[in-house]
Amino acid sequence: MSQAAPSATAAKPRPVLSPAAVLRRFGPLLGLLLLCGVLGGASDRFLTADNLLNILRQSAVNLLVSLGQLVVIITAGIDLSVGSILGLCCVMVALLMHAGVPPLISVAVALAIGAALGAINGILLTKLHLPHPFIPTLGMMNVARGLALVISGGFPISELPSGFRFWGAGSIGWIPAPVILVLFFCAAFSIFLNRTTIGRDLYAIGGSPQAARLSGVPVDARLILVYALSGLTAAAGAIVLAGRMNSGFPLAGVGGELDSIAAVVIGGASFLGGVGLVSGTVVGALIMGVLRNGLNLLNVSAAWQTVVIGLVIVAAVWVDIVRQRASERGQE
Amino acid sequence: MLEVRNISKSFSGIQVLDDVTLDVRRGEVHALVGENGAGKSTLMNIVSGVVPPDSGQMLWDNRPVRLEGPRHAQAMGISFVHQELALVPQLSVAENVFLGRHPATKGFVNFREMHGATQRVLNDLGREIDPRRPVSELSLAEKQLVEIARAVAFESRLIIMDEPTAPLAEHDATALFRSIRLLRARGVGLIYISHRLKEIFEIADRVSVLRDGKHVSTQPIAEVSHETLVRAMIGTDLKEQLASSAAGSTQFDEALRIQGSINLTLRRGEIVGLAGLAGAGRTHLLEWLFGAGGTRAADVFVHGRRARLRTPLDAVRNGFALVPDDRKTKGLILGASVLWNMALASGRSRFFIHRSLEKQAAQQWIGALRINVAGLNKPAVYLSGGAQQKVVLAKWLVAGARVFLLDEPTRGIDVRAKAEISDIIRTLAGDGAAVLLASSELEELMAVADRIIVMHRGRIAGELTRAEATEEQIMHLATGGAY
Repeated sequence: MSQAAPSATAAKPRPVLSPAAVLRRFGPLLGLLLLCGVLGGASDRFLTADNLLNILRQSAVNLLVSLGQLVVIITAGIDLSVGSILGLCCVMVALLMHAGVPPLISVAVALAIGAALGAINGILLTKLHLPHPFIPTLGMMNVARGLALVISGGFPISELPSGFRFWGAGSIGWIPAPVILVLFFCAAFSIFLNRTTIGRDLYAIGGSPQAARLSGVPVDARLILVYALSGLTAAAGAIVLAGRMNSGFPLAGVGGELDSIAAVVIGGASFLGGVGLVSGTVVGALIMGVLRNGLNLLNVSAAWQTVVIGLVIVAAVWVDIVRQRASERGQE
Repeated sequence: MLEVRNISKSFSGIQVLDDVTLDVRRGEVHALVGENGAGKSTLMNIVSGVVPPDSGQMLWDNRPVRLEGPRHAQAMGISFVHQELALVPQLSVAENVFLGRHPATKGFVNFREMHGATQRVLNDLGREIDPRRPVSELSLAEKQLVEIARAVAFESRLIIMDEPTAPLAEHDATALFRSIRLLRARGVGLIYISHRLKEIFEIADRVSVLRDGKHVSTQPIAEVSHETLVRAMIGTDLKEQLASSAAGSTQFDEALRIQGSINLTLRRGEIVGLAGLAGAGRTHLLEWLFGAGGTRAADVFVHGRRARLRTPLDAVRNGFALVPDDRKTKGLILGASVLWNMALASGRSRFFIHRSLEKQAAQQWIGALRINVAGLNKPAVYLSGGAQQKVVLAKWLVAGARVFLLDEPTRGIDVRAKAEISDIIRTLAGDGAAVLLASSELEELMAVADRIIVMHRGRIAGELTRAEATEEQIMHLATGGAY
């Protein structure tokens, strides 16, 4: 280096966290707080304890499904079947209990079905060498939804045991039971992704599947696990939803795959893989929940809500790209 | 023809070019050498209009010019043949050559004229490729030729080539040199960037050295020697680092044996070189050994015991390491931190990541291999090529590998890092590891390997000891000559 260079860099020490890094880390959270502030100003019913707890309860299902979707997207994949798997598990768990199976076993069976269907996605992707996860999960999306309609005859299966309904509709003290369930899942997924060697393998696969494989990462086995996890969280979402609605209905979770993808993407994960955090996804799902709730309170029609959510998704990704460029420039 | 005077450039406060002056004449091959980070790429980006200089002047045909962008430079007759080729694989050779400016009559592409013109350009370069062939079918050397043909079809008078021979085997490089000489004879000026000093002596008329952003010297090639050039590049004597280690003891235990359609034995503490032309099957052999693809009717024995290596994970468990030919896509997760990359091949028997242990191991190898990293948590993408390759090696050292399969480990890295990696390879073998080293650079093979196995069309064509290996003999075997 020339003589001028070291002194030039010494005069301008890099801050510990540059503004770009702060934005990257807390951008979605800032967005959520801003949104809450605006909605709180617009409606005096928004910032009440009851309403906020209600938002958490309503966001629980999407959050559970989004956790699985996050893991998939970290590996540069996508899972279009989660909404349908949720629908099928929702019907299955209700049917089992109506047939006299104890709730605990019914729940276990539903979770197993979800995980198994997810694993099938993974097996189709890795062993049949289908070109992109879009294909097997698109197939599964149709198959699972069709099966849900077939076995339910197209009708909701209502009146479920109260012990089962607890995880959807109950509370512990003033905290909704589904929120506790979600917190448990978030903690488990966060530890799994950040602290375990398998979790690190997933980021590696998303970063470069070739390099991961040539470093000894069992890529196929990991991907099958990933899609199984995604199916499992969809089934968990089904149990919460069935409990809340007191019904297993075959059209449960229609569009759920897109809501979960939106939550993950708003939360800062990259479709290119290798990037994504549980905390971001939580914030992403809450942004969607807050938007829906706030727009309801403001008497905005469901049709316009859809328009707003679409705009928010595009805006969130655009902001993400802007801040990525900013941080890359910062690295030069 | 081209002259740059007193060019300076800095990026975010760091002086990358400092008062550099350079001229290129008609019909001259002007070599530009220097370590990575010396400022070669920046200088060439300025000359080809990609970035503007902070200060200084550029003269084209003795008239001062200010380039407004790469298209402006191209319109003036300056073309840059990049290391990463920018071709559209689905299109034909001719369509790529004329990309964006097809000869057309009344809006329809005139294919006959385009094919004819392409044929003429290729003939001028002394090579034959069917202009109708899709680029995806071409070899790397042929693709590169298409890039050069594009520059010629633009009627470029100055062509910049950045490490054109890095991905080529020797005989492809020879053909490239023939094309370069034909261009030179037609009055085209060339700026030729390369880390391979040997070929600079073969092809260049003059050579300029950059070091730390400063112009060190410009001399006719006849007036410099290999040593003076290296010294000019790094500023000190490399003698110590290039000093070849004495061959180790002759008593080796067997580390690896392949038996069947291909036969090869590798002993502990031994470095076996794999030579051959591009496509001779060196990469295939290494990747097959590593369980990463391909099948062969051969059994593999590791330390005397038969091993089933069907996946890379099997190979890793058997103590194998693969340093792949392309570190950026196969060796590293570029977006992940140095620490992660180093930990990627190990610790999989644990469920939870053991951070302090991994950090300690990484720091140990960063010190031992003298890896130049800004921090353990910096993404690998920001490292120099040499440091990246050392991180790949460190990954396997952390994993405790004992059999090293190295595929072109010094490709595209600067002279100093090359010498250091050769050193590391010798140290590995000195510590009892077995090394299988594939390289297209015969010099490197002859300097490092105890034995050299020459491959030709997927088979072993012959074997030479270090004492008996000469470039002629290796090339003779590699081109299918009798043993």
